[in-house]
Amino acid sequence: MGLREDLERFREIGEQRRPDLSEFIREGDLSGSSRDNVRIPVKLVDLPAFEYDRRDMGGVGQGGEGTPEPGRPVDVPGDPEDGDGDGDEDGEPGEEGGEHGYYEMDPEEFARELDEELGLDLDPKGKRVVEEIEGDYTELARAGPNSTLDFEQLFKRGLKRKLATDFDESYVREACRVAGADARDVFEYCREEHVLVSLAWIREAFDEIRREGVSLGEYDSFEAFEARVERDPISARIRRDGLRDVPFRREDERYRQPEVVEKRQKNVVVVNIRDVSGSMRKTKRELVERTFTPLDWYLTGKYDEAEFRYVAHDAEAWEVERGEFFGIRSGGGTRISSAYELAAEVLEEYPFAEWNRYVFAAGDSENSSNDTVENVVPMMREIDANLHAYVETQPGGNAINATHAEEVEQELADRDNVVVARVGGPDDVTDAIERILSTEDDT
Amino acid sequence: MIHDDRIATRRVAAELEEPAERAGQLAEKLGLRPYPVNYWVVTHEEMNELIAYDGFQTRYPHWRWGMKYDRQRKQDTFGMGKAFEIVNNDNPCHAFLQESNTPADQKAVITHVEAHADFFRNNQWFGRFAGEREDPDAAAMLEQHAETVGEYAADPEIDRGEVERLIDAVLCVEDTIDQHRALAAERGDDAEIDEEIADIEERLDRLGLSTEVRDQVFDEEWVDEQREGEGLAEPRPDVLSYLREHGKRFDDEEGKAVDREPWMDDVIEILRREAYYFAPQKMTKVMNEGWASFHESLMMGDERFAGDDEFLTYADHMSRVLDSSGLNPYSLGLAIWQYVENSANRREVVDRLLRVEGVTWRNFHDVVDFETVADLLEPDPEIAGLTADSLDRLDPDDPRVDADALARAREGDLDVDAYPWAVLTYEGLCERHFSLAKPANRGFLERIDRTELERRARYMFDDERYPDVESALADVDYGAGWERMREVRESHNDVTFIDEFLTEEFVVEGNYFTYEYSEAAEGYRVASTDPDDVKRKLLLRFTNFGKPTIAAYDGNYANRGELLLGHRYNGVALDLEQAKQTLERVFELWGRPVNLATVVTEYDDHELEVARRRGREPTGEETAIRLRYDGDSVERHALEPELAERIAADDVDYDTKPDEWLA
Repeated sequence: MGLREDLERFREIGEQRRPDLSEFIREGDLSGSSRDNVRIPVKLVDLPAFEYDRRDMGGVGQGGEGTPEPGRPVDVPGDPEDGDGDGDEDGEPGEEGGEHGYYEMDPEEFARELDEELGLDLDPKGKRVVEEIEGDYTELARAGPNSTLDFEQLFKRGLKRKLATDFDESYVREACRVAGADARDVFEYCREEHVLVSLAWIREAFDEIRREGVSLGEYDSFEAFEARVERDPISARIRRDGLRDVPFRREDERYRQPEVVEKRQKNVVVVNIRDVSGSMRKTKRELVERTFTPLDWYLTGKYDEAEFRYVAHDAEAWEVERGEFFGIRSGGGTRISSAYELAAEVLEEYPFAEWNRYVFAAGDSENSSNDTVENVVPMMREIDANLHAYVETQPGGNAINATHAEEVEQELADRDNVVVARVGGPDDVTDAIERILSTEDDT
Repeated sequence: MIHDDRIATRRVAAELEEPAERAGQLAEKLGLRPYPVNYWVVTHEEMNELIAYDGFQTRYPHWRWGMKYDRQRKQDTFGMGKAFEIVNNDNPCHAFLQESNTPADQKAVITHVEAHADFFRNNQWFGRFAGEREDPDAAAMLEQHAETVGEYAADPEIDRGEVERLIDAVLCVEDTIDQHRALAAERGDDAEIDEEIADIEERLDRLGLSTEVRDQVFDEEWVDEQREGEGLAEPRPDVLSYLREHGKRFDDEEGKAVDREPWMDDVIEILRREAYYFAPQKMTKVMNEGWASFHESLMMGDERFAGDDEFLTYADHMSRVLDSSGLNPYSLGLAIWQYVENSANRREVVDRLLRVEGVTWRNFHDVVDFETVADLLEPDPEIAGLTADSLDRLDPDDPRVDADALARAREGDLDVDAYPWAVLTYEGLCERHFSLAKPANRGFLERIDRTELERRARYMFDDERYPDVESALADVDYGAGWERMREVRESHNDVTFIDEFLTEEFVVEGNYFTYEYSEAAEGYRVASTDPDDVKRKLLLRFTNFGKPTIAAYDGNYANRGELLLGHRYNGVALDLEQAKQTLERVFELWGRPVNLATVVTEYDDHELEVARRRGREPTGEETAIRLRYDGDSVERHALEPELAERIAADDVDYDTKPDEWLA
């Protein structure tokens, strides 16, 4: 009993309360997360009660400077749906905010969990060749830091050198005692016999024999010498005399080097396109955000390197930063092909040979007449990409000219890399994501 | 943990003993009548624990305390929830002071606590729990509850998870009690037993019939029939007690409702009692904090209780608490109390002035020279500027002077420079602190409007009593303001307090406004700056704990023993998601299907689209519905029209949206 136990029990309950990923994607607050850190709000465990509807209740706030004009936006902390960010904050209502804890995961974990939940098996292809120097230190080079000096190599080479240059000194000395042979004769004989002795050494040997007064005519000829004197093989000599010194030479030094591994990096570029024209009201915008954001996380988690570009369009297209992408609203008409023109331009920076490419577009299917068939479809054929997706968000029923999705489906039915997903409400989001991610051109 | 005995050894540190004693004396001199207070100094950690436990050291085991503790700690880490003190409502009160407070903070906190202790003792809402003996007996009660629930939880015969589930369910409806009713009677202070709880079976039991007769004549079928006829004439606001009396539990194995185990009834009753104990604090938050801030400011600021060197830190602390943005109960309460004080004093002065020959409510502003009045109202300099050096000039027979204290001071037994107030009586202190003489309140007298003047003058008979202003003001009772404040603190709660005393001036000067959610703008927008609107909106926040009023309407709904709860719909909708979840918990306490009648406002797509195009707010359609939870899922039904009528409570319109909004 006691507070400590109460706290433990509270934490236990909190763990159980984490929403599953699909629920989070469909209904959760995505705004707390960044691309590298997915923060899943865990509604702080508290008990429900009969409460007023926050929005219906309204409230009282206090103006900072003067009394604010009716109609001015008010930022109410704690209202999860509020805060489209357009409010210049004028007063601070004295309500306490709703509280959240967070479960944090990186995009890799997100991707793994989403794979599990939606049963996906997207296996990204490595494309761009990059050299990595992260292999084992198995290569050898002639220079390098002392710490990587391969002594074994140095020793072996020294030993080899010794074995190669070593000769049976007593054998050569005896050879000097062949009658009438001078130093050069002995040297030439030794060379023929593959004894690696120098002429200088032989001359010295002669001098030594003379000083010692030993007879120089012991053997009549080299043939006679050969018959009488046995040559000791080197192994026997080493066994007998021990390995006295091994010559270490600079040229024998070898340094260990990491292996250079050639690797293909899994890199991806995603072009997110969104219709920002007047008909894209808040609900539709939110649905696009709900669909695109998890896709971004997923692909970030799946690929080694992921780049995202954002294209907003009405009748014209322009590139924007992610921060503004989901919020923009403009007045103009709609010409989807403008976005694909810009996308094609953007993608020139990312050659298809080196990059996986995804082009995700979203809108309510409204387009200027014939633009889809005449312009968009040819471009979709032309732009190389692993996947072209169109996410149709259309809460509130079909408008008459909203035929883009349908036409894309019809015209590009022959393509494996084109998918159309329809999102009528938050409940459709996970299905759409699943549909998009399980369509991919495998060729 | 704070449950060990260590805390007992940490009674208030020596240096605080004197200030605590002096603060008690000062409080009484100022007319307060606090419970005795025991002061304890606690560490940071202990403070967080006490806050989690609502100011007590022992509570029944439940994860919610852990949650509060966790939040408190987090807030604390971010520097937002720094607590200076916590004081509980008990006799004696226990006040816990944070160890890390500066000496000036501690003194301020002590003055604050004395005022809370006075409020606990004298406010009638607290009295409804404490009873005539003025003893809530809280620490002992909560400890006993902790023990009982702890034993159930540890009982091998009882599933621990089931205890938790039951507590969860009760806590979901802990605010659906009848907080206006006196629990003192039930607590046994009065011999009278609440007849309400006696249900038909109990009445049968009391007839003293033999079991045989009872079973034959009044068999179960008969009892059920009687119960069916027992529809509630009046909705019962104490839903929790209704559930305790008539609820059952759903038995999964038997697949039907069965009687509760005795331990369950016990736990429900324990939690209900605690709900009643804590209700007055929730009902008087603004008043109580304002009351404490008012007296803290009086004692610390005006009486220099902290001493000059500590005054700066104190002023700093005070402004920190009051300036936190938004509507905080401290500043709201303080402002209203100051208004109560000033307006009562003004009424006193005006009543005198209107009795001066030649002064009438019509010519008041023309003939009264407010400069002169202000000078005349200045307290006697001997009283206002009392120091050790001026002691000789005081007359022990002056009713404003405490003769005993004066004698001691003259002997040198009392440090007058530190405690000048000690030489004065309540009367003297009233004069010393007369609010209308303070620079901040200059002009308050003059600002009185003609309507009020006329009202004051209307029933005034001897209106020619004084020959001149001077003699009239000599009769002013300087204690009028404080006396009125004490009356108000006795009988009001936050709702009546704000309703009666929140002024236009307060709203306008504070730049207060209401905000509403705009469907068209998809966000909150400032709706109104009209003082009446602001007040209504504020009242919504304080009425019934700022929660919708739910009552039990029928215990045998549709003749199937189903519970029908009704939401007294005042134009503000329920949070439906939460309501459904709560309904699921209520099922645990009823054991049979539960229903909730309420009204929802819905917008059809067409209306939304039209409203959007025209840039106006969409008009919604109010539909009365009944949510029914049968243990499995929540279903929505249409509500019978006569029930829809019964749940309507349309006396106040809380919607402050202007007609031409966002146009």
